[in-house]
Amino acid sequence: MISCQTFRANLQPGTREPELLEHLRKCDACLEYAVSTDPDNFFRAIGGEELVPPGGIDAFTSDVMAQVRVRQAEGSVAHRFLITPRRLATAAALILTVGVSALIYDSGRKAVVAPPVAHRPAQLATKPIVETYQSPNATIVEVPDSNVVMIFDDTLPADL
Amino acid sequence: MKRVLVVFVALLMLSSAAFADDAAAGAKSLSVHTFTFKYKDADKAAAMIKSLLSAEGSMSIQPSTNALVVTDRADNLKTITKALTEFDVAPQAFRLTVRLVGASRVEGTAPKVADELRDLAPKLAMLRFNALEALGSADVAGREGDPGIVTLPTGYRADFKFGEYDPASDSLKVSDFHLSKLQNDQLTSLLKTTLNLRIGQTYIVGATKAPQSQRALMIVLVARK
Repeated sequence: MISCQTFRANLQPGTREPELLEHLRKCDACLEYAVSTDPDNFFRAIGGEELVPPGGIDAFTSDVMAQVRVRQAEGSVAHRFLITPRRLATAAALILTVGVSALIYDSGRKAVVAPPVAHRPAQLATKPIVETYQSPNATIVEVPDSNVVMIFDDTLPADL
Repeated sequence: MKRVLVVFVALLMLSSAAFADDAAAGAKSLSVHTFTFKYKDADKAAAMIKSLLSAEGSMSIQPSTNALVVTDRADNLKTITKALTEFDVAPQAFRLTVRLVGASRVEGTAPKVADELRDLAPKLAMLRFNALEALGSADVAGREGDPGIVTLPTGYRADFKFGEYDPASDSLKVSDFHLSKLQNDQLTSLLKTTLNLRIGQTYIVGATKAPQSQRALMIVLVARK
């Protein structure tokens, strides 16, 4: 195997010299040097060839361009079915009209079924506990929120 | 296509407005209904439905036929009809529980309150009565308009009348409640009153000579259906 110094002195871009390639496969330091000079040297070192698509580059390019045209055609067809702003506005107006109409009709119908009076909370009327008492001079005191009433009547006997 | 759409929307708006107008008109038109009562007085029925009338509503009593003529919105008349139907029913049965309790104000340590009076102690403590004595209790059943009598072994007696039940206040009137006490083989009248008792609630009616009196008689009443 040639020395590293000889390898680096003879290395040229695109070289296919067997001795140089052999050194390249075995010396990591020179491989790094060679790749920094020409990246393809790495593939040449492992026996790689120039990659050519099947049928040649021209056939490959025409295939790619054909696919691009197909994609463009699909995009234009899909675009035709997109909702235009005018259609969107018409649909929104229709939905709004139907909604408002239903709301007006429904509010009118509710007025028949459930009148305001029916919505009043069931609140019990309040009556005085003592409605009448025998003596007009008596003092009647109702203790709030307790259902307790005191009758103070001077005519009552002391030993009740 | 655009013209058809415009026509459709216009028709939709017109029809919805028409429906709304019909509904509003139906709710606002006034109707007249005459209610004739079989069991209850028309004037009491009028007092009961007063709060149910709408702002446009009115009513008039016909005493000769015991009837009530009500004018109101058709939808509101339904509510009034329901209330009056429930009101004009045959006399209902009730049960009145009467308890008598002697309450005193005692200086220093008060005697222990008996178990049967524990429910009353907190309320009577508010009036500074701290010593309680059970003077007897009784249950009386009867229908609206029936008389009731309570006679207790301690000599107390109560005569009263089961008055009318008022659905608006859910209360029973206990009319002419006359409490008397048997003393030396003679019945002494103590007090006479008319009370309104809400169904299921406990009422304490205390009677004494003056606020500073050291003793009072407590009449505890509960009306139940």
